Amino acid sequence: MSQPVLNTVNIRKTFGGVVALDSVDINVDKGSMTMLIGPNGSGKTTLINVISGFYKPDRGQVTFEGRDITGQPPNKVSAYGLVRTFQIPSPFVKLSVLENLLIASKGNPGESFLKAPLKMTWHKKESEIYDRAFRVLDLLNLKLWDQPAGVLSGGQLKLLEIGRALMTGAKMIMMDEPAAGLNPVLAHKVFAHICDIKQRLGITFLIIEHRLDIALQYVDYVYAMALGTVISHGTGEEVMNDPKVIEGYLGGTCA
Amino acid sequence: MLSGESLFMLDLVATFAPYMIITLSLNLEYGFGGVPNFGKTLAVAGGAFMVGYLPGRILAGIMGVGQGMDYVAQNAQIITEINNRLVFNVPLSLGILLITLVAVILFGAFLGLLVTVPVVRLRADYLAMTFLAAGEVILVIGNNYPPLVGGTLGIGVPDPFGWASTFSVLGLSPGEMRNVTVTLFMAITAIIIFLYAQKLTHSPLGRVLRAIRDDENSALALGKDVTSNRLKVIIFASAIAAIGGALYAFYTANVISTAYSRVSWTFWPWVMVMLGGAANNLGVVCGTFIFVAVRKLIIFYKDIFGPFIPFDVVWLDMLLLGAALVFILLYKPEGLLPEKPIKTIKIEGPPPPKREAPEETSSSQAPSKKKVGLKLPFKFKVRKK
Ligand SMILES: Nc1ncnc2c1ncn2[C@@H]1O[C@H](COP(=O)(O)OP(=O)(O)OP(=O)(O)O)[C@@H](O)[C@H]1O
Ligand SMILES: [Mg+2]
Repeated sequence: MSQPVLNTVNIRKTFGGVVALDSVDINVDKGSMTMLIGPNGSGKTTLINVISGFYKPDRGQVTFEGRDITGQPPNKVSAYGLVRTFQIPSPFVKLSVLENLLIASKGNPGESFLKAPLKMTWHKKESEIYDRAFRVLDLLNLKLWDQPAGVLSGGQLKLLEIGRALMTGAKMIMMDEPAAGLNPVLAHKVFAHICDIKQRLGITFLIIEHRLDIALQYVDYVYAMALGTVISHGTGEEVMNDPKVIEGYLGGTCA
Repeated sequence: MLSGESLFMLDLVATFAPYMIITLSLNLEYGFGGVPNFGKTLAVAGGAFMVGYLPGRILAGIMGVGQGMDYVAQNAQIITEINNRLVFNVPLSLGILLITLVAVILFGAFLGLLVTVPVVRLRADYLAMTFLAAGEVILVIGNNYPPLVGGTLGIGVPDPFGWASTFSVLGLSPGEMRNVTVTLFMAITAIIIFLYAQKLTHSPLGRVLRAIRDDENSALALGKDVTSNRLKVIIFASAIAAIGGALYAFYTANVISTAYSRVSWTFWPWVMVMLGGAANNLGVVCGTFIFVAVRKLIIFYKDIFGPFIPFDVVWLDMLLLGAALVFILLYKPEGLLPEKPIKTIKIEGPPPPKREAPEETSSSQAPSKKKVGLKLPFKFKVRKK
C-alpha cells in the first residue's frame, strides 16, 4: 500500500567517456529504508548527486513526491524536503558542533539580510531551533557541542552529518555511507538510530552502505548497482541470493 | 590651538575611522562570507568618486554658481564660491551630506552587483580575479576621464562641515573646529557601522555566511542559496566600503583618483583584517587600529630615528608592515582575536542532562523488526572460489 516517494526513470550520466550511470530506474517507497549497494565506482554516489541536483543527468527524470525535480539546483531539492549527506563528511569546520546543527534548520527568518540585525524578528524561532538541536545532540550522544566541528573525530563527524540531515526536517534523507569508517558496534548503533528515526518520524531513507552484513538487517528494499546500472533489486534476501549480484560485486572490486 | 599630541590623535582617528569602515566591510565579505575581494579599491574609490562628482554639481545648480563655467576646469573657483555660501547654511550642508551618502551607498551596492553578477556562479577564485581587475578599471577610468573627478589633477569637494568653523569651543581655531567635527562624524559613523556589522553577523545570517565560506556544497545540501547569499554579502559590503571612501573624500575635501591605489585601499585593509582576525569584528577593529597607529607613529617620530636608518623613513613603514604580515601568517594565522563560534541567543547553562536509558538499550540490540539470514559479502568470495 506504499507508493514511491522518489523515483528515477532512465537516468544516464556520463563524464567524458565514462558512463557513470546508464538507464537507472529506482523507486523508493514512502517510509521505507532502501539500500543502494554496489562495488566501488559503480555509480552510487553519482546517482545521489544526480537526484540531489549536484549533477545534471544527460537524460532521464527524477521525481520526488510527484514533482519533477530533474536538474533543479541542490538548495531547491533540499528545500522540497529531499536532503542528502556526503560520503566524505563535510562539516562547517569553524562553526561549533551546535552551529552545524542549527544551520541545517529551515525557514529561519534570521537568515535574511534585512531581518538579521533585528533580533526580535527571529529570536523566538531561533530558540525553538536551539531546543531541537540539543535534542539531536542528545540523540547522537555528541558531547563537544560548543567546540568547532573541525576538532571532531571521523566517527563523530559521521554522526554530525546525520544530525544535520535530521535538523532539516527532511521528508526523505539520502545518506552516502553513513557508517563508513565506524567500527561495527558504532555502525550498528548508527543504523539502529536511523531505523528508530524512520519508525518514529516516518522519514524515508535511501542509504548507501558497503558493509552489507551490518546494514541488511535494517533495510526494507535493496538496489544493487554495478558499472552504472541497476543489476538487481528486491528484498535483502532476494538481492543477496541473486547470482548477478554475487558476480557484480566480485567483478567490480577484486577481480 | 591643539597641541602636537592632540593633533596627532585627531589625525589618527580621522585615518582610523574610514579604514575601520572599510575593514569591517572586507571582514563581512571575506571573513564571514569567504569572498576574496582583492578589489576593495573599487567600492572605496566608487564612494569617493561619487563625492567628487555629485554634491558639487548639485550645489552649483541650486546656488546658481558657475553658470557658463566648466565645472572641472574651473573647479577651484566654483568650489570656493559654493563653500563661501555653504558655511552659513547648516541645513543645506547637512542635507547635501545626507543625500550624497545615500547616493554613495546605492552606488557602492550597484558596483558590487555589477562586478559580481557575471561571475557569482563560478568558484570563489574567479571572483577574486574579477575584483582585482575591476579595482584597476575604476582607477583607469578615474585617471583618464576628467569629467568624472578631474583625472590626475583631481577635483575639489564642497565642505558640508564648513559651518563648524564659525563656532568656537575650547579655544580651537576655525580650521581645527572643522577638522574635529568631521573626525567626530566619521568616528560616530564608524561606530554605527561596527554595531550594525555585529548585529548582522551575530545572527542566523552570520552563521549561514560562515557555513557557505567553510563548505559550499554542504550549505547547498542543507538548502542554503549560496549564489544569492554571496551576491547579497558583496552588495552590502560594497555599500559599506563606499561610505568609507566617501568620508575620506569629505575629510580631505578633494578627490584625486591616484590616491585610491591598490596598496592603500586593498592591500592594507587585507593586512588589517588578517592582523586582527578574520570573522571577528572586534579583532578587525583592533587590527586596523594597531596598523594605522604604527604607521602614524613612524611618520610622527621619523625625525627621531630617521638619522639611524640608512634609507628614507617612508620605506621603513612598508618594511615593517611586510614583516608584520609575514609574522602573522607564520605565527598567528588566525589573527590577534581568532574567530569564535557565535551564540545568537543566550543558552541557560549547558545542554539538558542526558536521558541515559533509552539510548543505550535501543542501540545495543538491533530493532527486531526484520532479521534476514544473511550471507556476508566475503562469504561470496569464498563460495565463488
Ligand atoms: N565528477 C566526476 N568526474 C569524472 N568522473 C566521475 C566523477 N564522479 C564520478 N565519476 C566516475 O563515475 C564512476 C562512478 O563513481 P561513483 O563515485 O558514483 O561510484 P560509487 O559507487 O559511489 O563508488 P564508491 O563506493 O567508491 O563510493 C566512477 O568511474 C567515477 O570515476
Ligand atoms: Mg561513493
